[in-house]
Amino acid sequence: MSQSKDIQFDGLYAHELTVSRSEQILLEDADLHLAPSTITYLYGENGAGKTSLMRCLAGLLPSDQGSIYWNKQPINHPDSSYFQDLIFLAHSLSMKNELTIAENLSFYANLRLKGGISQQSLSKQISDVLLELGIGGLENRMFAELSAGQQHKVALARLILEPAKIWILDEPFVNLDQKTRGWLAAKTLEFKNNGGVVLFTSHHHIDELPVDQKVGVEHE
Amino acid sequence: MILTLLKRELKVARRNWIGLAIPLLFFIIVVSLFPFAVSPEAPVLQKLAPGVIWVAALLAMLLSLEQFYRSDYQDGSLEQLLLMSSPTSVALSKILAHWLLTGLPLVVLSPLLGVLMQINHGFAHADHTWVLMLTLVLGTPTLCLLGAVGMSLTLAASRNGLLVSILIIPLYVPVLIFGASTVTASLENMRYNGELAILGAFLLIAIVFAPFASGRALKISVG
Repeated sequence: MSQSKDIQFDGLYAHELTVSRSEQILLEDADLHLAPSTITYLYGENGAGKTSLMRCLAGLLPSDQGSIYWNKQPINHPDSSYFQDLIFLAHSLSMKNELTIAENLSFYANLRLKGGISQQSLSKQISDVLLELGIGGLENRMFAELSAGQQHKVALARLILEPAKIWILDEPFVNLDQKTRGWLAAKTLEFKNNGGVVLFTSHHHIDELPVDQKVGVEHE
Repeated sequence: MILTLLKRELKVARRNWIGLAIPLLFFIIVVSLFPFAVSPEAPVLQKLAPGVIWVAALLAMLLSLEQFYRSDYQDGSLEQLLLMSSPTSVALSKILAHWLLTGLPLVVLSPLLGVLMQINHGFAHADHTWVLMLTLVLGTPTLCLLGAVGMSLTLAASRNGLLVSILIIPLYVPVLIFGASTVTASLENMRYNGELAILGAFLLIAIVFAPFASGRALKISVG
């Protein structure tokens, strides 16, 4: 890791990043800068490595070479607030079938906020956001009882409940109805306008969401 | 943070109790078949008791390992946990919950099986049930800790049950030897402090290294 160099970029900055998956190089010596208050659209064919790149930027997949900085500090530096600031929503929804919606959501919120919120106000917030998403009143339903679209909405509710500074979203618009797509686009814009960094993938063009930067991953 | 993780584990387990009951049922059934298969005579059973109960406990723990990490790995929540808290604390809370849900019930059930295996036969005053329980209290957490390391290493491999067994049974054997021989020594009216101390030492070593090792292995398995 080239720590000696001064990184001038705020937000997320990947320097000379090489990422490979199963012996195949997906990305070589790539520089990528996601500045505060920008929305970045990551595109590419199926299997081109969009998810791998996202997982690498989220610190889950180790990169072969290169470094990733969050606000000028390497992301795995002990003082870095990266993992405190990051919400990474993957394909898998990361919710437990055995828990209710409210239990699932409040678990993640409590884990992030480390108990810095009263349980009453948290459950109030949960019912508010579920109402916005059109699944109001289902707080105490088991996650397994919901339809695929509803389950996806529950996962999106985390974006509202947990304070963050960077969102990395893998296919957030898939499975959503028109109304919820609009809701998500509006929330993403609001997050951006408050200084947030957004990176997302999508197979369809999202009319509701103006993007500031497009990044492509291609097969060689 | 560990408390939040632990609470969630216990809540999930409560709704999924059948999965947890299977290893316990296995433990009871295996031990209770011995009087039928070998001999109902008390001296014979008593001699077999430490080994049989310990082997059954070890296999029950092995059976329950499948539930470690697996569902969290499949539904993606393991990834989220590793992003939001340190790998060691994820492993530690899992191990703690797993012991509370499988190891502790085995300890609680063991006096019943001691009676079944006539463990106190011929002793008017000595109570070997306590020795048996004590060895299981010290031994089962060690089995949990070692099992966690094995499970987290093989998480990414499909059908990892067999692989884990091969990997960790050699590590289980010393615990089995000292666990069973402590009870045997007590049955033969010998001192068993030494064996008990070694069981305790195993536990301490495992507590220091296993959560850390398991956490690191989880990171690798997820990546």
